[in-house]
Amino acid sequence: MANRSVLALYHEATSTADTIDRLRELGVPDESITVMSGIPYAPAILGRRPMYERLAPIALIGAVGGFLAALFLTVVTPHLYAIPVGGQPLVPGPPTIIIVFEFTMLGTLLATFGGLLAEIAFPAVGRHEYDFRITEGHIGVLAVVDESLVEQVESALSETGAHHLKVADTSPPRGPQTLKRLAFVGAFAAVPTIIGLLFAYALLVIPLPNQMVNQASIAYDQGPRLAAPAEAVPVQGSVLVAGVPASQPVAVTADSLQRGSILFTINCVQCHGPDGTGIGRMSGYFVPPPADLTSERVQALSDQQIFLVLTQGWGLMPSMAENLLPVDRWDVVNHVRSLQK
Amino acid sequence: MSTHETEYPVWRRPVLEDESLEEQAEHLRRRHLLLDPRYPWDMNDDVLKPMYQTSRTFWVLFVALFGLVMMGVVTWGFQIYWGLGITGLNRPINWGLFLVNTVYFIGIGHAGTFISAALRVMKVEWRRPISRAAETVTLFALGAAALSIFMHLGRLWKAYWMLPYPNQRQLWPNFHSPLMWDFMAILTYLTGSVLFVYLGLLPDLAMARDHTRGWRHRFYSILALGWRGTEKEWAHLETTLNIFSYVIIPVMFSVHTIVSWDFAMALQPGWNSTIFGPYFIIGALYSGVAAVIIVMAIIRKGMRLQYFLRDEHFNGMAMFLLLLTFAWAYFYFNDYIAPWYHGEPAMKVIFDLFRRGWAAPLWFLMLFGNILLPAATLWQRRVRRSIPALVVIAIFVQIGMYLERYLIVPVFLGYNELPFSWGIFVPRAGVILTIAALAFVFLGYLVFSRFFPLIPAWEILEGQILQGLRRIGRALLPTRTDVH
Repeated sequence: MANRSVLALYHEATSTADTIDRLRELGVPDESITVMSGIPYAPAILGRRPMYERLAPIALIGAVGGFLAALFLTVVTPHLYAIPVGGQPLVPGPPTIIIVFEFTMLGTLLATFGGLLAEIAFPAVGRHEYDFRITEGHIGVLAVVDESLVEQVESALSETGAHHLKVADTSPPRGPQTLKRLAFVGAFAAVPTIIGLLFAYALLVIPLPNQMVNQASIAYDQGPRLAAPAEAVPVQGSVLVAGVPASQPVAVTADSLQRGSILFTINCVQCHGPDGTGIGRMSGYFVPPPADLTSERVQALSDQQIFLVLTQGWGLMPSMAENLLPVDRWDVVNHVRSLQK
Repeated sequence: MSTHETEYPVWRRPVLEDESLEEQAEHLRRRHLLLDPRYPWDMNDDVLKPMYQTSRTFWVLFVALFGLVMMGVVTWGFQIYWGLGITGLNRPINWGLFLVNTVYFIGIGHAGTFISAALRVMKVEWRRPISRAAETVTLFALGAAALSIFMHLGRLWKAYWMLPYPNQRQLWPNFHSPLMWDFMAILTYLTGSVLFVYLGLLPDLAMARDHTRGWRHRFYSILALGWRGTEKEWAHLETTLNIFSYVIIPVMFSVHTIVSWDFAMALQPGWNSTIFGPYFIIGALYSGVAAVIIVMAIIRKGMRLQYFLRDEHFNGMAMFLLLLTFAWAYFYFNDYIAPWYHGEPAMKVIFDLFRRGWAAPLWFLMLFGNILLPAATLWQRRVRRSIPALVVIAIFVQIGMYLERYLIVPVFLGYNELPFSWGIFVPRAGVILTIAALAFVFLGYLVFSRFFPLIPAWEILEGQILQGLRRIGRALLPTRTDVH
């Protein structure tokens, strides 16, 4: 018992609806009738039952899937690869909401699209009864009927105003050709994926010229050294505070020595002692003890070196930059020089 | 075909008793696309023909745009080799033109989906011919935005480290990071937009498949996936489009909100505002609608789509633009007055800069382009129906919105809480890459327009069948049938 498909074309919806009624009268079940059109006609227009659709639940499944994927990435993986940061929660709430929202929406969109393709069996490969005039505003009615009914159906279709009729054997099922094509597409997608993974797992490495490992580098005690850049700040007379002019050594005058002595008493005697010998109230607490400023080692330093020690600190000695302006520091340098005399 | 012409349903006009009604009907026909039906085969030709035409102007444009894009590729190569310094980025201005471009292009990308999805949900009929042209703007603008982010990356070849997969580095991306919010939002929006355009294209791809030969026929056969227009296909497609519309609108809102959070989460003066989310969304829609108006004018002229794109569509878009002008002005004032009243020292410096400093010309041009010009002109119907005037206004809106983003990114960044590090941004190589990104959008659109029908023929045919005329008293009025 072979089935035949009959395709008829109509100009508009009313005659199409009449045709469907006629086919029903002839005992053709609704499932065997397919209406094809270039624009959407609601089922009510054609006198058909509303379509049962499963897209909404599919979209919901996608949403749940996206939601769970987001929870996996935002809640589970931070525990697997924990990087504790002091006082910060491993899974902070508000940012998690953002990611969960985006994933849920993405899941919904992808599932709806995939659901559409699955529900209408796309991509449809193989032969399907169709007529190119359907995208020219004609409405096609396709009925799959038993051979014995074909003549009756044909005459019924002509009576209701079909202007084009086509009878054919029912479409053959999908052949192995389809599988071959799918395999080809799969292979096509697999190759770049595999190549990408080889790079990602560093099994393939491109030696790019500006990888930091490959840059020329000179170890601490190796030469030749690069010249200092033009804008580098010299040790002498550096501008350390914006707005304060470059520091110059202050001439050794009675005023300067007096200022230096006062500042030394405020800032230095606690450790270095009033005469600078390194025996102050606090000196017992430090190992090594504070330097003897009258010693030859200290006095052999240049003024600039003493200034730098005051500015940056040395060993346990803190920087005095916050307490002393550069001019003040030069006064203190003069005072330290005067200690030995 | 021609023998059946009279039997096509939309050809059955209402019987009109007197001449005045005839005149009214003729007037309405000229004004409204949906009341001016054409035979489907003619409409198919109107939609498909511009796709085959590659005039001399087309090739000149193509070569010029391709050259600009290539120039950008070479500059990008230089930048990858020499580092981001050649784009003028340095402390304290670590975000320059690329971030301006990202925000700008994502903004433009908002209108396409909004026009398509929101107007679809609200069943606004004049969306029909412009929905795909607008969605396509979204596609390429989002592409350019993603490209701008990649341009901003140092060590670009390590970009894949952002992907979550077990790897030999024992590193896992932190999904709570704002960079991930951005990445996920743009990815979701881009995926949704591509699928949304594709879904709406399916019936038109089938139409193109049925009316082409050779490689084009094969190309459309593959893309149409075997669409036949069965009831099942239509019903499922409609449902899918509805679900997409409802999902993609909140996604669209989230995208630009998250982009605004990139700024608002920082303690940078001028950025740490709580109103940035909605303010950025309105700004995005504003620049996006203006961009769609420009694109509509270009394709109408360039592809001879005068039949499809009429005064009513430009009028609708212009009213939309006017509404957004006021909304934007409202949000801008909100964002301005609170810091102004706080009188925070860094903000005082910035506001002085806007009012009378070096940034004053930019600021006043922005206010002119974004508020004064549209608000002063668009309330006139004469302006709304004049395409050249609209294009000029839309271009000023584009300039204004670009300047607004420019003022927010590199200008605000130059004036932080540490005055010793203040600086002024000089874009340098970023300018070339910006031009290239813009050229990329135009080139993409140009190429797309020769491969895909920019006018959704099936949506217009559907609208023409659903819309009709009804006589009430002495007047003939358009009516619409809602079948859903």
